Formats: sequence, structure tokens, C-alpha cells
Amino acid sequence: MSTLTARDEADALTQLHAMGCTDGLPVVIPTPERVDRMVLAAVADPTTSLGVMGPLGAVTTIEQVAVNTVMAGCDPDHFPIVVATLQALLRPEYDLSEAQSTTHSTTPLVVVSGPLATACGIAGGFGALGPGHRANASIGRAVRLCLMNIGGAKPGVSDMALLGHPGKFTMCLTEDVDASPWEPCSVAAGFDPLDSVVTVVGVEAPHSVVFVDDADDPDSPQRLLRVVARAIANPGSNNAFFRTGSVAVALNPEHAAVLGKAGFGRADVQRELHRLATNRRGDLHALNPAFAGRGDPDDELATLPSPDHVLLLVAGGGGLYSSVFPSWSAGAHANPILHQRIDIDQACAIPVRS
Amino acid sequence: MRDGIELARRDRAVVALVTEPFWPQGDLIALSNGMPDIPRLRLPHPVAGSGAEAMARLATELAPRIVAVLRGEADADNAAAA
Repeated sequence: MSTLTARDEADALTQLHAMGCTDGLPVVIPTPERVDRMVLAAVADPTTSLGVMGPLGAVTTIEQVAVNTVMAGCDPDHFPIVVATLQALLRPEYDLSEAQSTTHSTTPLVVVSGPLATACGIAGGFGALGPGHRANASIGRAVRLCLMNIGGAKPGVSDMALLGHPGKFTMCLTEDVDASPWEPCSVAAGFDPLDSVVTVVGVEAPHSVVFVDDADDPDSPQRLLRVVARAIANPGSNNAFFRTGSVAVALNPEHAAVLGKAGFGRADVQRELHRLATNRRGDLHALNPAFAGRGDPDDELATLPSPDHVLLLVAGGGGLYSSVFPSWSAGAHANPILHQRIDIDQACAIPVRS
Repeated sequence: MRDGIELARRDRAVVALVTEPFWPQGDLIALSNGMPDIPRLRLPHPVAGSGAEAMARLATELAPRIVAVLRGEADADNAAAA
């Protein structure tokens, strides 16, 4: 790996901006000492490869990831999460080269579950995807900087997202497990509650869904499901027209409680959202005939292939608003939800410099 | 571009059709896949949605060039630029 020479950190920052190695914001300068300390957190040979990252086709080494993780402002404790996220993104099922190259605005939503989420202070409550949470902001940013600097995703040259969205800077959170009526998404996926797990899915920016509960209305839980399902079936999304891919749904704790109290388990909610998120073929045809396919205009077309294509999260502050994240829904593997256990068995305490 | 690369890997003669704004991306994909010289022709943008008549006109204009490049009788646009 080449080393940049600079007069001071301000000069180094200017050079990094000029070289296109930043996301446009200032970065922490990846000095050899800082990178070494980050590598130490992985307890791995710095030359260890995580795989080949597209579209550039570059070998992704622990050292390269460490450089970008330093630049993002991460604490070394965050490093295993960044590494696990990249391991998930480098699996063939994610179709990373294609996802990085598309004109769609897809970006990885990173959900961290388990003890490491708590230990690292990853937020799952109020404004979890907004500013003000160091771990959320810097972990997601590290992933993005890796995608740009290792994978070569540069806007307008190789990352052809037509507009993009602010979530492409960083999009990382955890579930609010204390406020959730359900087991964490990682446990639902088969992991042990004591496992620390990263869940990734390529998504658009979150779309807000407003819903007011009425404890006197026995239909209230079904109304909530219907309004979330309508947002999933939003006929401006790729999901609606391609009828494939996944979506993420972040229910705020109050909305989740409405469903929990009504006896809905996590799988019940996923099943109902899948069942209710439909569009009439004729309606789709009237909007985008090229994508609507042939058939009876009265066919009710499911937006998602199965209930398992709903990544259901409980996150955010309690209130009127939940969120739906539609997806790109393309690529050879059609935008799946992937889980990756975070390897912390080898982790050691990071020495504190005096 | 990727489709062209996949076909080239199967020893098929190919010409990738790349619209103007995607030309730099095509260069990068070709380079990163170890096929910097894979033939490609530059198309106006957009083609999708331009209507059947416009697409037919473009196809009529382009087809002889595609055939000529595939036969090795003409240079692709990237070769001409090199």
C-alpha cells in the first residue's frame, strides 16, 4: 500500500480531497499509527483478503478497510462490525458490482444486533438514522468509504446513481430491542441472542408512514398493517414493478406495540405485509406499461416474493411515524437480506496510548 | 458492458453498446474486468423511451457498424479514441 506524504494533517486532508478519496466531508487522517491500531482490533494479518470488491475488482484487505475505517472516524471497537458488513456485501448474493454501478439510489442499510451493538453504543431510538450518534454515523461512513476507495464507486463515473440520497453517506442502526415486542431480527434469522450480527440489505432512503392508533377501534392493528403495506406497494418503487427484491420496515416502538398487543408475532407481521402489499396489474400498466407485464388487468400482483423479503425492525422514537425502505430489486440475486455473524472471538482489548 | 464481457469470456465476438453518459463507466468496467480493449460503440442518450421510430432509426444506422466491427472490418469507438 502506498503512503501519502504531507506537511501536516491539513495538507493531508487537502490531498485526500483532491485525490477523490473522501466522501466530500473532512476525514480523520489515516496515519500509520492509527491504521495499525485499527488493524489490531481485527486480530488479523493486515494483508488478509475479504474478497474482491467491484466495480473496480480490487482485493479488499484488512489494512485497506482499516485505512477507510480510520478516515470515517471509527473507534477500533467498531472495526469488527465494519469488517463483518463488508464480508456480507462481498458475498455473491449481494451483487455488489452491479449495486454499485446502477442508476438506482440503492445503498446498504446496516443493522447491528447483539451485544456488540450495545457495547459500541449504536443507537436504535430517536433519530437513529439521523445525525448525532457517533457509532451509527462512523460505521456506516466507513462502509461507504470502503465502497468508494476500494470498490471504486465514484459518482458519475462508476457509481451511476442518478441522484443518490444522504443515506449513501452512512446508514447504520440497531433495533430498539428493549422496546420491541419481538425477538431481534438476527434471532429470527436463526442466530443466538448472544451472537453479534450484521444484517444488510440494499435500500433506498426511508419513506415515512404516518399512522394514529385508536385503542377504541378493534381494526386499528389491521389499519396499521394496511398503511404500511400501501407504502411497500408504492407504485413508484422498483419493488412494485419488478415484484421482487426485499424491503426494510422500521416500525417505531408505539406502532410495534399496537401489533404486539394484538397478538401479532414478527412472522405474522411479515406475512400480513406480504399479503397486503399488492397492486392491480391494470393500475401498474397505466403508469409504466413496459414494466407491468401481460395479463388480466384485475390481477392483484404481490409486491414481494415472500414474507421473508420483509426485513422487519423496531427502531426510532415512539410516535406517529414508521418507515419503509423500498429497494433496487435487481441484480442476479434480486436484492436479498443477508446476515453475517461478527467475529469477535479473536478480538483483544485495544491498548490505550499514554 | 457486463453482458458484453460475459459473452467475450465465452469466446464470442462482441460489441458493447454504451450511451454517452455511461462511457467512463464502460471504460472502468472493461478495465477492471481485464478487457480494456473490448469493442464498444458510443450511442446517444437516452435510447430507452425514445420511441419505436427513433429506436428503429438508430438501429438501422448502427447495425452496419456493429457488423463491421464484429467482422474486424472497422474500428470500435474506443479503438478510434485510443
